[in-house]
Formats: sequence, structure tokens, C-alpha cells
Amino acid sequence: MSRVAVIGVGQTKFVRSYPGSIREMVFEAFKEAMGDAQMTVKDIDATIVCSAPEYDKQRSPSGVLAEYLGLNPQPTFYAESLCSSSTTGLRLAYSLVKAGLHETVMIIGFQKMSEISAAESQERMGRGTDIQWEAPFGTMMPAYYAMFARGHMTKYGTTADDLAQVRIKSSTYGVFNDKAMLRKQLSADIFKDPASPMSGILASPLRVGDCCANADGASCIIVAGEKKAKASAKKPVWILGLGSATASVNMAGRELFYSLPAATEAANQAYKMAGVSPKDIDVAEVHDCFTIAEVLAYESLGFAKPGEGPALIRSKETYKEGRIPVNVDGGLLAKGHPVGATGGSQIRTVVLQLRGEAGDMQVKDPALGLVHNVGGVGLYANVSILGRQ
Amino acid sequence: MSKQIIFHPGALDEKDGKFVQMGNKCRDCGKTSYPAVELCPFCSSENKEKVPLSTVGTLFSFSVTRVPVGPYKPPIIGGYIDLPEGTRVFGQIHANVEDVKTGMKVKVETGIIWTEKDGTEVLGYYYVPCEAERGGAK
Repeated sequence: MSRVAVIGVGQTKFVRSYPGSIREMVFEAFKEAMGDAQMTVKDIDATIVCSAPEYDKQRSPSGVLAEYLGLNPQPTFYAESLCSSSTTGLRLAYSLVKAGLHETVMIIGFQKMSEISAAESQERMGRGTDIQWEAPFGTMMPAYYAMFARGHMTKYGTTADDLAQVRIKSSTYGVFNDKAMLRKQLSADIFKDPASPMSGILASPLRVGDCCANADGASCIIVAGEKKAKASAKKPVWILGLGSATASVNMAGRELFYSLPAATEAANQAYKMAGVSPKDIDVAEVHDCFTIAEVLAYESLGFAKPGEGPALIRSKETYKEGRIPVNVDGGLLAKGHPVGATGGSQIRTVVLQLRGEAGDMQVKDPALGLVHNVGGVGLYANVSILGRQ
Repeated sequence: MSKQIIFHPGALDEKDGKFVQMGNKCRDCGKTSYPAVELCPFCSSENKEKVPLSTVGTLFSFSVTRVPVGPYKPPIIGGYIDLPEGTRVFGQIHANVEDVKTGMKVKVETGIIWTEKDGTEVLGYYYVPCEAERGGAK
């Protein structure tokens, strides 16, 4: 069977407030990916545009962006699954190529969250939860993940300091990532100092420092079928396994509050399809929208047994030199989280790692990489496994 | 008197001048569910009836939000309450933050949860600590 590879990657810097429009912002990521793939617009057979529409002023942005990027008359599609939108785009692009409908497909992820106020953005983010039965009572994302943090603490004895360790690791690598929004090394003191803005409780038990920040940014990934990939790319990175799953949006439908079952299910699918196991993964990007989310990811992905995620970060096994390096580009916590662009940024990082082009963030000679991208509070989960071979 | 609406039609029924929180009871598998949906979430049966939910439950998990959200000012205590019939419901807990503990008993109250700009009062439910818990249990 013909395989599918990632042959071009690009992203903008993630910033608090991008000064231009979404067209100009997306163009930056597009230009980088096209340069990386050494392609012209004639090589792109279709585009999939991914964002979370609650932040967009532009209705139906795929048409506007296809026109701006010179991608008419090729078809363009719009895909959405909250914060996991652009890995949903990857899955759809893979299917289009495998089906033989298109040879080369571009996945554009973007979000310009600064177009609305932070308070409005929180409220709109909250609408990604159950607007009928939960949002009327004043919900927001941090409060949901906070309840998972509390669940993990109650069940396994996880501490606030364990969670702080995740943030400290992220900041360590954010320093090296010139695309990241927050590039300052943080120490544990920052959580202990009551005067530090990071130590303030946002939604108990999560502090401000446990949460990633909204950002503006775009990502662009180009995938192609085997023949085209081999002919045009020096170092194609193959899509070996894809998993995708859902869980109830209304948290009252979830039995447990210390794991995300959709992520576990998506991981199992991806491992099975790729024919590999967690111990084979050399580098991973996980959806650390909150520090607790990275701990949950370790356990969903099988890098740690249930309840042993905190021990994994404490032993520094997820640092660059550790057994399984995770988010050595700073993750969402350091990069910022422009919702629709995030999955594409994660893919870009893993592709650069597998090509040996990750610079100061490079892990030693990785052959297999994994991307874990979650939408909502484990409502949607996509796990993708990429490989050099 | 200002206009009053229920935050979601059918979530509360008026009985003897009071509003009561309503769920579904499946006539086939006997399980109760909330919110009311077309099919029983446990056995997909359509054979169900609307029943009042238990008024006292146990706090399963909660978080205290320290920033304003929508019409609410902080601190906002939101949590999941497990009812004796095996149903889990999300709502706010109206209490002193320091008194709220996982596993505490809470009881439901109905009333105005916010007021729209045009003065329309929106009715819903929230939970308060049961008497035994007030200021006590740690």
C-alpha cells in the first residue's frame, strides 16, 4: 500500500497579538512550509483549513485563505475539533491522499485570539463545553482541567509541586524555541512567591502558571503520497499511525476524573496501526494546555502507568536527555496556544526532530515521534505517530 | 413583576408554586439520567418518564474559579454532584469557599441564577451545603 508523508512544515512565531489580518498571518506559515517543501502553488492539490470558529471574525475562512494564497481553483475544506483541529486536518488529508483524490494536500491551522478581549475569549472557550447544561453555570476550561487535577491528586496523591515541574520543564525549552511566545526560564520559586503572578490561583487547584496562554499564530503542513514524497522531498517523514476518538462533552457523563479516555483510545489505535508500542517512541509532543494535561498525557500514551505520571516528570525522564523526551520545544505552556494552529505546530516540531533539524532542541537521533493533540477536555483526541522510515 | 424564564425549557417543572429539577427515568432499565434526552443513555430505550431528581447529593469534584465568567463574579464554585440514583449533575455551590470539600453533602435549591440586561430573570438551580456540613466537616 502506498504510504503518506509529511514533506513540508512551517509556522509563524506564536505571539500575544499579531498586528496583521489572518491572511497575512497564515501567509507567513504557508511561505515557510512551501520553502521547506520547495514547492509552488501548482503542486498543492487541495487545502484543509483548521481553526476554532468561535474566535474567527471571518466566516468560512477557507475560501478567503485559498484565494489569498493563490490556491484557486483547487478545492479547500474547513475542519474543526476545537484545540485539536489541525491534527483532525492531518487525518483528513491522509484520507484524501490514500483515497487517491489528491496527491498533495496542505493543512493550514490558524487562530487569531487577540481579535476579542481575554474575558470574551474565556467565555467563548467555555462554549466549547456543554453550552446547554454546564456553561450556564459559569464554566471555563481551566475549571474543568482543575477538577481533573483535583481528581488525580485525590486518587494518586499528586501535588501542586509535581505540576510545577511540568511548567519548569516547558520553560527550559521555550528558551530555545524562537517561535515560542514565552522564552524565560522559570524556577520553582515562582510558584512559591505569593507576589508572583504565576502563583495566583486561577481555578483551584490550578494556578496561573499551570495554564497555557492564548496566542495568535498559524501553522502549515504539507503531506503527499509516496511517489510524490520520494520524488520531491529529501527527508520525507512518514505517517505511520493515526488514532482518533471522542468522549462525552458533558463531564457528568465521565465516570473518572483522573484520565482522558478518548486520548487513551486514540493512542491505542495509533500504536496498533503503526505496529509499535510506547517504549519505541523517541520523541513526543503532547497537549499540555495545562500542567495536569501533560501528566494525564504521559499516562494515556503509556509513557507512565496510571498514577505514575508525576514520578516521570520528577525523574526528568521527559527532558531531552531522558527516556522519553516530551515537549522539548516548550509545549503549549511556553509556545502559547493559538487553538487551530497548535496541532500543526506539534507536527512541525516532531518532523524537524525526525529530520535532525531541531537545533538546540534536537533529541539524539530519533526514529519515531508521536503527537498527542486534544480538543476540549478530552472531548476530541488525535494521536499521530510519525517515522523516518 | 419581571419576566422569568428557565435557563433551559423543561429543566425545571413547577410544582405547588416551587420549581423542581427534573431528570429522566427509564421504564426499561430503571436508570435515572440527567439531562433529559430522547433516548436512555444506558440502554437507548425511548420508554422513559420525567421524574424529579433527588434533592440531596454528594460533591464529587469541584473547582473555585477566581476570575469572572459570563454573568458571575468570582469566586465561582462549580462542581459535580453525585445523586443517590446514580446520576451526576453539574452546578454551582453557594457556600464559603473554605467550607467546600470533596465528599460533602449538598442540597439543591432553585431560584434566579442571573438577570438579563432587559431585566428578564433566569431561573435555574444551585447547591448549598447541608446543615450538618455548614462550617463543620473538614
